[in-house]
Amino acid sequence: MSREEMTIEELTTELHALRELPSEEFAAALDSRAAAGFPGRRRGSAPITSLPGGDAAGRVAARFRGLSPRRKLLPALVGATTVIVAATAIVLATNGDKGANGGGGQQSTIGVSSDAAKAAPSQAGGAGTAGGSPREVAPQAATGTQSIGPLAPEPPVPGPDTAPGIRNRQIERSANLTLGTDPDQVQAVAGKVIDVLGRYRGIVLSSSVREGGEGEAGATFEVLIPSGRLGAALTDLSAIADVRSRSEDTLDITAPFVSSRERLRDARAEAEGLLRQLAAASTDGERASVKAQLRIVRGRIAAFRSQVNRLERRANFAHVSLEVVTGNTATIPGAGGGDWTIGDALHDAGRVLAVAAGVALVALAMALPLALLGGGAWASRRIYLRRAREQTLSA
Amino acid sequence: MKRPFARSEDVDQTLVAPARETPAEADLAFERLYRSSRDDVYAYVAGVLRDRSAAEEVTAAAFERAFRKRGRFDARRGSARAWLFGIARNAALDELRRRRRQAELDSEPADVAAPATDALAEGGARRATLIAALAGLEPRERELVAMKFFAGLSNAEIAAVLGVSESNAGTKLHRVITKLREACR
Repeated sequence: MSREEMTIEELTTELHALRELPSEEFAAALDSRAAAGFPGRRRGSAPITSLPGGDAAGRVAARFRGLSPRRKLLPALVGATTVIVAATAIVLATNGDKGANGGGGQQSTIGVSSDAAKAAPSQAGGAGTAGGSPREVAPQAATGTQSIGPLAPEPPVPGPDTAPGIRNRQIERSANLTLGTDPDQVQAVAGKVIDVLGRYRGIVLSSSVREGGEGEAGATFEVLIPSGRLGAALTDLSAIADVRSRSEDTLDITAPFVSSRERLRDARAEAEGLLRQLAAASTDGERASVKAQLRIVRGRIAAFRSQVNRLERRANFAHVSLEVVTGNTATIPGAGGGDWTIGDALHDAGRVLAVAAGVALVALAMALPLALLGGGAWASRRIYLRRAREQTLSA
Repeated sequence: MKRPFARSEDVDQTLVAPARETPAEADLAFERLYRSSRDDVYAYVAGVLRDRSAAEEVTAAAFERAFRKRGRFDARRGSARAWLFGIARNAALDELRRRRRQAELDSEPADVAAPATDALAEGGARRATLIAALAGLEPRERELVAMKFFAGLSNAEIAAVLGVSESNAGTKLHRVITKLREACR
């Protein structure tokens, strides 16, 4: 061993001489794998020198791993886009069930309000004024109103727009619809209205058709439509002409209905009791007294029955005020029948974009926390790995 | 400072790979990088691990990782060679960590056969002294020697791999060389 210090050159030469070179076998195997694009190989499997090419599955895996990050993200992007498109389609389809009409336009529900908070008893008291009942308007029908279909139509079928959870509740529904058309089309529109009402077993309480010029010609209809068919009937009515305005109201009349029914039951029970008293009466005076009470009770029974019937009619039939107008009143965009116009298309496009933006926003709101968590975990792992590696060299 | 890809030789057989119809530029660049760095990466890893078998495994793993990540390479952040050695360094350090954990589990020292056993047999006393001096270096210092003298990295490339400044890398190298010269006195 030399006791003299090595020069830099000598040291460099000696160190270069200590440089390890790969064995020919390893170099050849690695070259082969490099040529094959480094097919997949699990750690701990056979040494590199015995794996010249890899299997088919490994090649597929390696091909995927070999993709650039952008191309790797492509499936995820396609998946996310598919989800967004599907969600948009579902939302639109759901809305479309409510709003689409035959002409391709959308039926707008404007000014719909659930007015269940209104005082039900007062409404019950004025049952004959707001909507009336078929029985009450029967004389009118004989004199001036048209009635289409049987007076006692089949029980209303719960419609698609019956809110869940209110099956056993008595809901009174009403609607106002204004259609716009040309003066020379008023008669035709009125005829179509009658046709639609016939299809839905509607009852025309009153109707009037006015001839004249623009702004003067028009028609008005006061009709009853089975509540379960109101939505479909309004859709068809809206398709007849341009919808100028439309509104629907609902009123919960369950409380007065139940109350009236209970009173009727009590009155009937009272009448039965009086009949038993009458049978047991032994003197003429007793019998006369019981009969007088019985008359009063029967009168009350009739009144309560009538009240229950009125409320049932109000729940079973929706009152619709329909007006056909002429003139240049603005049409509700996207509403009404007729042909599908550029305006309708723009409106639909706007809705599609709005829904898509909403869906994207919701998706983003869901993805953001996950992305933050994932990013934090990834960064933490990187920091940990870096420190752990450096510690390896510090030992 | 760019280092000419001249140290690795005899790797022309790599070109027998079936040429793709439209090879991406990244693939071509990677192929060039592989051809120029294969032996250097192996020499560096072997110098760090001091185990031929493990060095082969880690070298292959490093190139596989680099191949998978070749699309992420950004030339603005450093040379491709520095990038590759960064990957190789991580792979080598991961292997060291794994061995250490294994050694702790086994309660036996890891098999760290000196890579220069052959050299010891054929070399003279001076070389034997140098090998002993190398073995006495700290792992971090031994890594510097492997980068500079086995892999042939420039100071700038070493700095890029270690994440330090070039002057800092030069200073560290100088200290290691001084230490080796003193040890070999």
